[in-house]
Amino acid sequence: GAYARFHGNRRSGQWEPVGPRPPLAAMFADRTADGAAVESRWRSVRSARCETKSCQTGKISTAETAVQSHTSRDAGVQTDQSKDAVQDFQQEVQVDYTSLLSFLQRVEDAVIKELNKNWKSRAFDGFEVNWTDQNETVLCLHTLSYPEAQDQNLQVTSVSWNATGSVVACSYGRLDGGDWSTEKSYVCTWNLDRRGLNPQRPDLVVDVPSSVMCLAFHPSRPSLIAGGLFSGELVVWDTSRTEDPVIWRTGMTDDTHTDPVYQVNWLPDAKHRNHNRLLSVSTDGKILVWQEERDGRLALAEGFAVVAQQVPRSARLKKFTWGEAAVGVTSLSFSHFDPRVFVVGVEGGYSLKCSTAAETLALHRTGGSVPLRAPAELAFSRHGGPVYSVSCSPFHRQVLNLFLSCGTDGQVHLHSMLQTQPLLSLQLSKKYLFCVRWSPVRPLVFAAASGEGNCNKRFCFTGDVHLFDFEKSSQKPALSIKQAAGEHPVYCVEFNTKQTRLLAAGDAAGTVRVWQLSSDFTEQGPREMNHLEQLASEITD
Amino acid sequence: AEVEETLKRIQAHKGVIATMVINAEGIPIRTTLDNSTTVQYAGLLHQLTMKARSTVRDIDPQNDLTFLRIRSKKHEIMIAPDKEYLLIVIQNPCE
Repeated sequence: GAYARFHGNRRSGQWEPVGPRPPLAAMFADRTADGAAVESRWRSVRSARCETKSCQTGKISTAETAVQSHTSRDAGVQTDQSKDAVQDFQQEVQVDYTSLLSFLQRVEDAVIKELNKNWKSRAFDGFEVNWTDQNETVLCLHTLSYPEAQDQNLQVTSVSWNATGSVVACSYGRLDGGDWSTEKSYVCTWNLDRRGLNPQRPDLVVDVPSSVMCLAFHPSRPSLIAGGLFSGELVVWDTSRTEDPVIWRTGMTDDTHTDPVYQVNWLPDAKHRNHNRLLSVSTDGKILVWQEERDGRLALAEGFAVVAQQVPRSARLKKFTWGEAAVGVTSLSFSHFDPRVFVVGVEGGYSLKCSTAAETLALHRTGGSVPLRAPAELAFSRHGGPVYSVSCSPFHRQVLNLFLSCGTDGQVHLHSMLQTQPLLSLQLSKKYLFCVRWSPVRPLVFAAASGEGNCNKRFCFTGDVHLFDFEKSSQKPALSIKQAAGEHPVYCVEFNTKQTRLLAAGDAAGTVRVWQLSSDFTEQGPREMNHLEQLASEITD
Repeated sequence: AEVEETLKRIQAHKGVIATMVINAEGIPIRTTLDNSTTVQYAGLLHQLTMKARSTVRDIDPQNDLTFLRIRSKKHEIMIAPDKEYLLIVIQNPCE
């Protein structure tokens, strides 16, 4: 607030607003001070211009994007082993030849002396060490069957072990001439290493519309299995697929066999390392090689036909009355040492040595897509009945290429591929012999499966699976295992190459028995290879 | 050359399947076998020889290993040891 004061006299005074009067004490002069004026501001304050202002950063632009690599490739890096690493060693390592020479001169005499002593020594004759528990008995580990197939009176026509040795597969069908149009069959697999194995319940059952006559697991892919059917077709199943296990099939074409396929084998493909081809053998006389095509088809790659006229006449064969008739092939085995050489067994009772390199065309009347060749090079002397099985020995030395053949005459012939007469003829049984297989670990052992036939009580051996050991006897089986009670022929046997003590045998009652062999059948003796050679040479003399 | 001849003489002996010389570090110097087998033999037999030698010397420090022979079902392996080298000969004694 301010008040006004009259300044001056009455004539020229004026009113002046004045501020507060300065205190008189501070100033001792008598004076009139100017007043201080403070303007009132209350009005102006009220009407002062206000503005609200805000401040903000400009909009930040954002965008969402995702980044991902479109393609990726796995690449491995590894150093390659150089081809002649030993040469590398020799180059890297500074060899002091003088010291090496003096070393050798020092030791040479001692070493030669030891070598001589060793050569003449009899110290270790007959000395054998047992490192493992000697198991003296043969046990039946598993009795596997598929009850539904057994109810339909189906028989086990073939067994096969897979590449890892833990799965056994069997095919159900009929070998005694079943009615092919209505006969359904099964392929069953069991994994023996699985816990909770139920022998009556296979891990996998595949329904097949036609009787399966033979099976073969792929040699390196554990889930692939091939089968040959009564209708002449081939089918390949992949057991790892649960939906539809069929992956390849030949179907019924002009190339397909016109008779049942009795044996199927996997062949390594020379051109494509990862692919295998399939070989099938049938009583229509044809041996066909199939290749996988992309659309799940098996196409004919090459083939052979055995025709009576073209069989070499080195053996005295009975003259065939019919013309260019094909000779029914029942079995085949490849030589383990020359991949082009194989042996087939025919219905005519003899075996033939054949070669995949044969070039002459077969006199065979069919409209197939691939011309068939005549493979036979040598005919071996006859059995007294059809040959059902041949097996080439996986052991051999030098040129000794041994194989076994067996047939309905109950005999097993041991042949060398070099001569037509057998090295040894064994009358194993009076019954038919359906299958013979060499042991994969013991060069002197083989197994044979026997079955029906007239049994002359004097010579008949009671067992159904015969294990023969040339080390023990060249006349009679070392062991005969009775597969089942009752007269059920055993149709097939297979050794397990990975778990070498196991042997699978399938019989007409529809069961597959897995036998565990005793150690004397599975451990190679100290000089067994020599005995084998000796045996072969003894007999040829 | 003389080295090769000596080795040839040994290799030509009755029943000898393979001959090899390895140095004190276990590296093969001369061999008649393929590469991978040689490397396997060299490594394993070098270790075995060292073990055999230390066994002999532990039992009697005045003693030392002069020769090592391993007899197996299929053949016999002979090892002549030395300070710098090992000579390994594999023989198949058939009577």
